[in-house]
Amino acid sequence: MKSRRLLAVLLLALPAFAQTDPGPRGGTADAGAPLASVAANNPSTILNFFINAEARFNDIGSVKGTVIGAADDGLGPRFNALGCARCHAHPASGGTSPANNPQIADGTAQGATNTIPSFITPTGPVLEARFKYFNDASGNPITTQPNGGVMPLFTIVGRVDAGSCTSGYIQQPNFANAQLKNNISFRIPTPLFGLGLVENIDDSRLQTVLTQHYTGPYYVGGTFNRSPNDGTISRFGWKAQNKSLELFAGEAYNVEQGVTNELFTQERPSPEENRDQGPGLAQQCRLNATPEDHTNFNVTAEDTPSDTVMFAMFMRLLKPPQENPGNPATNPNYSRVLNGNVIFIDIGCNSCHRESFTTEPSSITPDLSSKGARLFSDLEIHHMGTTLADSIVQGNAGSDQFRTAPLWGLGKRLFFLHDGRATNLIQAINAHQSTGSDANPVMLNWNALTSTQKQDVLYYLRSL
Amino acid sequence: MPLFLMVVMLLAATDVPKNEILVKGAMPSASDSTTPVPEDGQVGGGRYRNAYFGLAYAIPAGWTEQPAGPPPSDSGGYVLTQFATMDGERVKAHVLVTASDLFFIPFSAASAKDVSARMRSSVPERYVFEKGPDEVTIGGRTFYRIAYKAPVSGLQWRMFTTEARCHAVTFTFTGTDTKTLDEAEQVLGTLTLGGNAPACVNDYATGNVVAKVTPQFAQRYNTIPVRVIIDANGKVRHAHLLSAFPEQSAPILSALREWRFQPYVVNGKAVEVETGIVFGQPRMLAP
Repeated sequence: MKSRRLLAVLLLALPAFAQTDPGPRGGTADAGAPLASVAANNPSTILNFFINAEARFNDIGSVKGTVIGAADDGLGPRFNALGCARCHAHPASGGTSPANNPQIADGTAQGATNTIPSFITPTGPVLEARFKYFNDASGNPITTQPNGGVMPLFTIVGRVDAGSCTSGYIQQPNFANAQLKNNISFRIPTPLFGLGLVENIDDSRLQTVLTQHYTGPYYVGGTFNRSPNDGTISRFGWKAQNKSLELFAGEAYNVEQGVTNELFTQERPSPEENRDQGPGLAQQCRLNATPEDHTNFNVTAEDTPSDTVMFAMFMRLLKPPQENPGNPATNPNYSRVLNGNVIFIDIGCNSCHRESFTTEPSSITPDLSSKGARLFSDLEIHHMGTTLADSIVQGNAGSDQFRTAPLWGLGKRLFFLHDGRATNLIQAINAHQSTGSDANPVMLNWNALTSTQKQDVLYYLRSL
Repeated sequence: MPLFLMVVMLLAATDVPKNEILVKGAMPSASDSTTPVPEDGQVGGGRYRNAYFGLAYAIPAGWTEQPAGPPPSDSGGYVLTQFATMDGERVKAHVLVTASDLFFIPFSAASAKDVSARMRSSVPERYVFEKGPDEVTIGGRTFYRIAYKAPVSGLQWRMFTTEARCHAVTFTFTGTDTKTLDEAEQVLGTLTLGGNAPACVNDYATGNVVAKVTPQFAQRYNTIPVRVIIDANGKVRHAHLLSAFPEQSAPILSALREWRFQPYVVNGKAVEVETGIVFGQPRMLAP
């Protein structure tokens, strides 16, 4: 009896209400379908292209294309996964990290003898690893020599189709040592839905929003990552390092799956192998003529483009994630979702997570043309402070600068932030505040809210 | 591996420090470390002091310094400092002190009054607008005060903007507790600002450069705003790059040392003058 009283007293002493992340929204995926005008086959045959592109995106790769069920050739010699949709999987093909990490199976498929790095776990996020600095001969990071390149997790060694590429010629990087020395940072896959709209936003609209940062009460700085070739705003990837969807696709095909293509034509040595006076990639592991992916001749119209072109087409024609606030009959928190939307703006989240831009006239399909893109991002790179800094520089983005992550589709997401460190929204929001972050003033507003108001914002975010 | 050897290797290891920004992008730099720059304010003795602006701001009792802001932006924006007062875990009110360099701000504004008017026009219609911009005198200087609040969240904003060295310096108080905001506003009344500073003249470098060396630097399509102080002989005494990559800063600073200007003359006497020059991508301007 006494212990029950004590329990009651303890319960009363706890805050009456603390906000919680409602968690991933259930129900249908609300993503993964083509744009409505594509589904309506406008213009004629575009749907064939989407279907073909989706199939290629979902393909599994092997080294020579000879493995049953993995007819796509060109895999390796280094890779992170066997196909695009392995990682861009949740809540539908084209999304981001799924609940069950496929990399463990991929790294050991077809007899591959890879050691699964300790940071790859069955229910953790899909990860790509980068070393912050090059190592000396003893494995110590040389802090005057930034690396930043992707260090693929796996090699093809041991696979049935690895041929002459054995462990004598290629090895996995020493991830354990990199972790010990804090010389590693991670990225999760970015969701790809709606990117045709993002591609079709004119620079001038983005620049106008940047100027508005200077007239509001929050001051959130911001600048753009720009294409080194023409100075226009680049916008894809965690640091907005890629200018176009094709570039984005070509780089990922080469870096994540090891497939050479018309944009990235050489088999890729690891950054360590490729540095000045490094050994380069062993000849024994160059198993195919290059580029492995290329324009296909003498085939049907939709089979003619390369995989890279079709991956870009898939991303371009994917419908954006559907917001789902429900209605008063279906969602008991419907009014709180609406309230959360207003508070989201009041506290300044939308200074960077800008709700919407209008696209330009499109020559591809009507649903890309002069449409509102509710992506919740200004596509600028912002300083995010010491907590999130990853020591990776890409283009004009420094080590703590990241593109404002688009929030569309957030309601379904399982992992947050560039490295998937957060599995709930509250952790993700709180990580916005640290020394040097553009978001610090907005975070003080967030922390000025009552628990009820914070909860409203969380309901709103999970409706996106 | 013998344990001894492992210990030796661990001791010799050069671990990468955590929670530090090691590889930087564009960042500020200056031709010398003794001339004050806007981002070098300090907190001490219950005050925030900024030598560049000659600013001393008494921090309200019970308010604490918050994490430092980002480096200056390539559009001339500074987060100078930020303080907050708490009620347990909840923020009762906070103040953000910013400066916008009028030479580089990304919209047309010739004065703090223009900036304040622009801030006023950007307040959403659904907010309850209380006042402003009203001219108020604080520490002997003219400020433009705007006050408004958001009906749903209950947040209130009070923004005070003044001009210093061709910057719009703004104190933005935000919170839900009116009494706390009132008290903080009273404390702002004790602020001091100003002192000996060169005259500042927009676009002085246009038409007054008599000799220059064009810097050769890596083109990265970034805007590189530079504040220069020109001495009475027309030489650059001090240059402050608000935002540039390290490989850009050195050649620009080196070239500016060779620049010669028409001396700035006031009442028949040549005096120091401060102005802005943009290298790289032209300054961004709102339509």
